[in-house]
Amino acid sequence: MISKYLEAGSTYAGDIDSLILLILAVVGFWGLLAEVVFFGLIFKFAEKEGVKALYVTGEDPKEKRWVSIPHYLTLIFDVMIIIGALRVWAEVKLDMPQADETVRVTAQQWAWTFTHPGPDGKLDTEDDIRTVDELHVEVGKTYHFELASRDVLHSFSVPIFRLKQDIVPGRIIKGWFKPVITGTYDIQCTEICGIGHGLMPAKIVISEAGKHQAWVKANAGVAAVAAPVSGSTGGMP
Amino acid sequence: MRQYLPFVLSSAVLAATGCNSIHPDGAAATLPGEELYRSCEPCHGGAGEGNPSIAAPAIAGHPAWYVEAQLVKFRSGIRGAHPDDYEGLRMRPMSRQLYTQAEIKAVAEHVSKLPVQKAAPTITGDAAAGAVSWGTCQACHGVDGKGNPAVNAPPLAGQNDWYLLTQLKKFKAGIRGTNPDDTTGGTMRPMSMTLADEQAMKNVIAHINTLSR
Ligand code: HEC
Ligand code: HEC
Ligand SMILES: [Cu+2]
Repeated sequence: MISKYLEAGSTYAGDIDSLILLILAVVGFWGLLAEVVFFGLIFKFAEKEGVKALYVTGEDPKEKRWVSIPHYLTLIFDVMIIIGALRVWAEVKLDMPQADETVRVTAQQWAWTFTHPGPDGKLDTEDDIRTVDELHVEVGKTYHFELASRDVLHSFSVPIFRLKQDIVPGRIIKGWFKPVITGTYDIQCTEICGIGHGLMPAKIVISEAGKHQAWVKANAGVAAVAAPVSGSTGGMP
Repeated sequence: MRQYLPFVLSSAVLAATGCNSIHPDGAAATLPGEELYRSCEPCHGGAGEGNPSIAAPAIAGHPAWYVEAQLVKFRSGIRGAHPDDYEGLRMRPMSRQLYTQAEIKAVAEHVSKLPVQKAAPTITGDAAAGAVSWGTCQACHGVDGKGNPAVNAPPLAGQNDWYLLTQLKKFKAGIRGTNPDDTTGGTMRPMSMTLADEQAMKNVIAHINTLSR
């Protein structure tokens, strides 16, 4: 429903959006209603000439209802949200569909290095393609990723996939995605990692099979490719 | 009137939160070099003395033409963009804090005016053997290691010796000076090949440590 306004780039992006929409609807409806009641009471019981302020203990069941009914409703809606969340969690985090290819993502202060398997489809071979700040994938293929850090905590975030996963030094953290659209989109670090945190953007390039294979062929085994900063001399006038 | 006060106050807060949209479009004004240098201080130090714990070298008193050239290289991915250039990848985003050629010039000018900081030696080697290897180097870097703008060779005397060592290793391993657009790095790379191993590098650096700037 919301995908009409917000591009969804992975198989699970839509499910995450629906979950957030569910939370927004539930919290939004009751939140607005609570504000209406809140301001209604403020205006209704505003200071009036000749009326003395009254101390309310909240022991009268008629008054307590204002607290207990919302309390039970909160519990019911909480369960609703938790069920929705667990279903998405299982899909994104617990399930690991068979991978067509695996890419390695190495974060450091303040850059991303991506290791692509190259034409043979296997990592740690001669024809691996390493790039800085640019990840290349093929639309419709299932990818596993392995996250590693060379120094501190980082977080691998691909907004178009609704993907965000912390990277912990000393650990290899695995996950997956399957792109469903083509184009060039943002990758960002979403864990404060030092003074260059805001200066470590990267790109993901999602292409059709033919175009992607051509890129793989052209770059196979080339020692290193760094993403150019937009424009010559880094986009300076 | 008083009963509307909560409403008025909450509207005022909402309006105020929407008002802080200042866009640093950068291109507008060029800051003076001194001010631009503040963003370099956390790593290169207030006096440009460098900081080994972040692997940031001394840059105080480096000639403006060299600082400018390196900043342009970092910005455009000609230096510090190799996946194995751990320290260079750290400097690369920093160069992007400079928005225009004018800002790069201004900060380079400021760096060149900072008094040269004398770095304490940390590397030991056979300076006499190093002096022999230095025979090759002095053609470009000068007999006294003060550099030579005519061949784009920076001063090496007085530089942090640990930094010189990592750079020689990077040149030799093809981590620096291999980008097709890196013409000056490309002239230095074959020179690093003349140093057989790490010990040879340490020896020549021990000799550089005896030169003063
Ligand atoms: C986050 C730390 C950090 C900050 C901030 C930083 N640098 Fe650096 N800088 C480094 C590191 C690390 C290196 C060494 C890179 C290498 O080993 O290749 C370096 C290298 C350099 C060099 C190359 C020196 C040489 O002898 O070739 C210059 C020039 C330089 N920085 C200028 C600047 C300027 C100007 C600024 C401010 C706009 C700045 N740096 C901000 C970390 C930093
Ligand atoms: C043909 C001229 C030439 C010769 C000979 C030469 N260099 Fe260089 N060297 C350069 C140039 C040019 C650069 C600057 C590279 C750049 O712009 O990135 C450089 C850079 C360096 C750097 C990096 C300095 C810094 O601040 O980052 C070191 C270290 C270095 N040279 C050491 C040596 C040593 C040791 C020798 C002798 C074995 C030597 N050079 C011989 C031209 C030369
Ligand atoms: Cu980070």
